[in-house]
Amino acid sequence: MIIRRISHILCNYDNLTRLFAGACLLLFIAGILLLPLPYSEKQLYPKTFDRNSSLDPYDRGGPPFTQVTIVSQYPENSPTAGLVTSYLTPFSLFLSQVTLHLGTTIVSHPGGIIDEILYNTRGLDTVVEATILFIAFAIASYIYRKG
Amino acid sequence: MINLIGGVPLYVLEFGDELVYFTPYTITLFLLALTFTVLVLISRPEKQVDIAFGGDAYRTKEISVSEMRFRRFMAIACGLATMGAMVTGDIFNFTLFTAMVGITNVGIVAAVKSLHVQDAAYQYGLVALAATVPLFAGAAIYAAVTGSLSMIELMKGTLPAVPLIAKGMLMLGVIGEGMAPFYAAKAEMFRAPGAPYVIMCSLSSLLLFLRVVEIVMLG
Repeated sequence: MIIRRISHILCNYDNLTRLFAGACLLLFIAGILLLPLPYSEKQLYPKTFDRNSSLDPYDRGGPPFTQVTIVSQYPENSPTAGLVTSYLTPFSLFLSQVTLHLGTTIVSHPGGIIDEILYNTRGLDTVVEATILFIAFAIASYIYRKG
Repeated sequence: MINLIGGVPLYVLEFGDELVYFTPYTITLFLLALTFTVLVLISRPEKQVDIAFGGDAYRTKEISVSEMRFRRFMAIACGLATMGAMVTGDIFNFTLFTAMVGITNVGIVAAVKSLHVQDAAYQYGLVALAATVPLFAGAAIYAAVTGSLSMIELMKGTLPAVPLIAKGMLMLGVIGEGMAPFYAAKAEMFRAPGAPYVIMCSLSSLLLFLRVVEIVMLG
């Protein structure tokens, strides 16, 4: 009887978002009760913030065309990592000199900063992220055109 | 110590820090996704016929070629995302592929001109959208606690143990992409004409679930 009642609620897809929100809520409460979680001091991608750098938070340092050390899980797979950290196009260089916020333009600004970790050692992520975005655009444009 | 249900990786493909590895388990899942994607690529879609109860009346649903073409494109994209999720050796990369499967599933039925199916797809889309929160939160806790995202490193057992909550979040994120008990909307989406494309929705979330079971056993 109780199973029938539960399945009756579950089979209606209008309840789905509420059910999922409830499940998330329970899990998050459990998560809060399980705090504190241990934090590993030995992080794979260490990050230092230099608020005065205009490339912050993507400033990996080093003079142009000189290889700097980029910490990665498998350095042997990315032999060229760290070679282009501080290469900026003339326009980006100009922007970096006049504003402190060039680091925020990483995605919208071609020829800007190249984040070695994002684009070199974790390149597949970047590809998949862009693909998700394009798929969303494809769906939206199809519906807009046909709808 | 290597301790996993899939067996020892037979082949490791290197994409920088994100290794793609093939164990007997992941190869099986990968081949299943590949076979179905090829089937979607070469097969001709079904045509649905509605028969009125108690009479001789029936009508065939007309579906335009362009709509079918779009749906095939989405089904193939879904197959590729599923294949990626099956073999990736990186937690964050897995979550990205899972999110991609969610959005392509919506795409497969988005073009269907049936209010009922679109309602269901909308509800499914909302849940899939919300599911990315626990999914990416799980990956973030993996990174914070172990300091790494590589499954190969997790297998070795040298990293700190992964907390149960991170595994739970990863699991809930994948379940939200269309596993029971949040399956109702997806079941309604199958009413859309155009098998085998709509079957891809079901297969992808099934394979994702099988993969996430392997992942939470690591570390």
